[in-house]
Amino acid sequence: MSLFWLSVGFGLVTASVLSIASIGLSLQFGITNYVNFAYGDFMALGAFFTYVFNNQVLHFNIWIAMVIGSLLVGAFAVIVNRYLLGPFARRFQTTHYVLIVTFGLSLVMLNLIYSIWGADVRFYSMPIASALSIGPLRLTVTQLVVIGIAALMIGSIHLVLQRTRLGKSMRAMSDNTTLAMTSGIDTKRITTLTWFLSGSMAGLAGTVLGISEGNLTPASGELFLFVIFAAVILGGIGSIYGAMGGAIIIGLATEISAAFIDPAYKLDIAFIALIITLLIRPNGLIARPGTA
Amino acid sequence: MSAANATAGSPPLTVDALRCEGLTKAFQGVHAVNGAAFEVPEGKITALIGPNGAGKTTVVNILSGAMSSDSGRVFLGDTEITNWPAYKIARQGLLRTFQLSRELGGLTVLENLLAAPAVQAGDSLVNVLFRPGLVRRQERENAERALELLEVYRLYRHRDTRARELSGGQKKLLEIARAVMASPKLLLLDEPMAGVNPALIEVIGEYILDLKRSGVTVMMIEHNLGIVEKICDHVVVLAEGRTLATGSMSELRSNTAVVSAYLGEVINAGAAH
Amino acid sequence: MLYYVFTLVFFLFDYFILAMGLNIQYGATGILNFAYIGFVAVGAYMTGVAGMPSNITGQHYILGLGLPFPLNTLFGGLSAMAMAVIVALITLRRLRTDYLAIVLISLSLVLYDFCNNFVPLFNGADGLYNVPAPLTKALGLNVNSFIVVFACVTGVVALILWFVMARVTNAPLGRSLRAIRDDSTVAGALGKDVFRMQLKSMLIGSFYAGIGGGLLIQFGGSFNPTAWLPGETFVVFAVLIVGGAGNNIGMFVGALLVETLLIHLPAFLPEIPGHPGLIEYIDSALVGIVLMVMLWTRPQGIVPERVRRAVTFGVPDRPEIDARELGSAEVLGAPVAAATEGAK
Repeated sequence: MSLFWLSVGFGLVTASVLSIASIGLSLQFGITNYVNFAYGDFMALGAFFTYVFNNQVLHFNIWIAMVIGSLLVGAFAVIVNRYLLGPFARRFQTTHYVLIVTFGLSLVMLNLIYSIWGADVRFYSMPIASALSIGPLRLTVTQLVVIGIAALMIGSIHLVLQRTRLGKSMRAMSDNTTLAMTSGIDTKRITTLTWFLSGSMAGLAGTVLGISEGNLTPASGELFLFVIFAAVILGGIGSIYGAMGGAIIIGLATEISAAFIDPAYKLDIAFIALIITLLIRPNGLIARPGTA
Repeated sequence: MSAANATAGSPPLTVDALRCEGLTKAFQGVHAVNGAAFEVPEGKITALIGPNGAGKTTVVNILSGAMSSDSGRVFLGDTEITNWPAYKIARQGLLRTFQLSRELGGLTVLENLLAAPAVQAGDSLVNVLFRPGLVRRQERENAERALELLEVYRLYRHRDTRARELSGGQKKLLEIARAVMASPKLLLLDEPMAGVNPALIEVIGEYILDLKRSGVTVMMIEHNLGIVEKICDHVVVLAEGRTLATGSMSELRSNTAVVSAYLGEVINAGAAH
Repeated sequence: MLYYVFTLVFFLFDYFILAMGLNIQYGATGILNFAYIGFVAVGAYMTGVAGMPSNITGQHYILGLGLPFPLNTLFGGLSAMAMAVIVALITLRRLRTDYLAIVLISLSLVLYDFCNNFVPLFNGADGLYNVPAPLTKALGLNVNSFIVVFACVTGVVALILWFVMARVTNAPLGRSLRAIRDDSTVAGALGKDVFRMQLKSMLIGSFYAGIGGGLLIQFGGSFNPTAWLPGETFVVFAVLIVGGAGNNIGMFVGALLVETLLIHLPAFLPEIPGHPGLIEYIDSALVGIVLMVMLWTRPQGIVPERVRRAVTFGVPDRPEIDARELGSAEVLGAPVAAATEGAK
């Protein structure tokens, strides 16, 4: 089996993690119109919540622990929005302040995670997965589950956005908050639900990142955030479907390039993709009107 | 002391007038401006009128370089300035104000005016570090002129106030005073009297007439046709992004096509004012 | 004891320099430079390799010019400026605030990642070590007296740079930058070349970043890539916000409170047994919390931006005009009290 197909397999796994994370970030950005620089730490928090239920107390099966951990981060995100970011965003008209606050929140969360769980590399307890061959690809059962989770999330988010009242309200708010408010949408409730969804997806992405990488450290989410940025900007910031597409492109590009260049430069590949996108199509591949 | 005296230091006029032809601008497929073409006669006050959505502000944005047009050309005197960046247009002597006052909020009222002259010795790092005398001298000259303008525009008392702390009317005056401080040859005023009380409307009207007397060409967007009738020499009517008619207010009122098609009620209401 | 005190003095003055550099970019011009520490790192690295001889075995690095102090540091400052030109050309002209913040913070991390991995140019994760300590030979200093002398040298450099920065921010140049910060469209409509001005601001700020970085690497004698992670930028932002964005004296106050007292003083506390690094983690989290509390309760900082009064421009006060203008209140409406608009 060739190195190329091996890296395509890795690429699909990375793209899966990336698409979960990118959708979560895009949902939140679409509604609030600012970037949450602590998003990577939301991911790390999810990974460690899962770790707690998987390894430290109760010893749940990894997938059950993952669901609990993700929902907890969703709840945490709602609290963070209600008592910290929301008030800052409402009080200051320029986005500078809230961006600095999310940057600060990232520092606080990272160091609290370090304080609680330490800097040691940790591992989930899960059964050793056997490998399967699918066409030219060779993937472990765990990797297939990760890909499956991502597909499930993409599908359900698509259904929520297109078929439900919540989804329609979210899209309306994302296009024009004031207009949505005057047309009777309860923007406060939608914002809360969006933060819950976005936080849960961050927690989920953090956990599957830990699963797919085979270990977890407090800083892993922060490093991954920059790959998410590349995917989100490639797809057009705030565009959910763009984020999905961007995630697949960046996921494959970083992993396939790693087959030819030193894998240590994965991050740089993502960054170069980000810069090239900004230079050629500053609004992303799927341009959303009126954002740039 | 009048505004005329305060702007006496401006260079002699070399620019004839402003002229634009075939301007278009679309937002997401909708044509906000669709072939607008008109001239602004030199030394006169021209009104740009039309209903909401006629593309008046978009035209001003294009003329002043805040926005680029999709097609069409703009001439300032003999110079074609089509799609020049805003700062270059300003340096040619075309200044504009904004419909919603945009004060430089963190700067004091005096500093708002001091920021206006486009080219200052003290904007160069070399001058700041090695020719402090030159910078200080120019600053004092500018400050003296700015304070004279503030006196004229009734803002002298608030010279050391941060601009964001002014009242709405004061911000309107500051908006005009700041543009005047930049020694304009041609001034585009975007609804200078919108949202201010009637007493202040009179005052602002006087300021605009003063500017004309001192040789500044003015073009203003205005809804109040009573005011237009009183102070403007020339009117451009814009509708759906096109120039519907031009001429004096009385000519327009006798232009049955304009009246019946579109302006009837508004103009009659204005005449009754 | 003397060693500790002068270590604190060094960091006070060095972060004063760093904060002044960020202050002209963010406080004056409103450029949210989340890659600031990257410019500091470039200054540090280039100062290091400009000062080191070309023939130290066991380390990979470029140049090795063997320049004496302060030429090596100046070289570091100029290198940071060179990077600012590249970054500004790619990003400033086309990106709105949050894109810019994303790109800059990513750039900062990628610089770190690249340094950490690319051995031929930057010696990888080992970084640089044995960076020559300036003035040691000339003055015959030992380890302790070097700390004292170099802290004082840094103090002198900081004072000179403060004098220059005060000139710049008080000049029309500083005012134009603040005009761009408040409303770049208006600044453009008044004839200011916004991009050129922002570039100037980036260049000046990066020079300060480079000098501050160059002094840091010579003080510590080594360059460790992990010291330049994006989180370090946040420390400089904390200094700036606590001290008072837009005020140079505020940068000194912020450096004293945040960098010296909050970050470096606890570093002298003994480790808690069984919890390596715990004090450092809690301390870093505390910096973030202090900044948020400060932004909420006193966004203008401890020393707010100065109001530059008319009299400072050398024009006489004329109270008789004030009196004459009283009648204007009925036309203009009562002046709005300072508080009504709230913090913006």
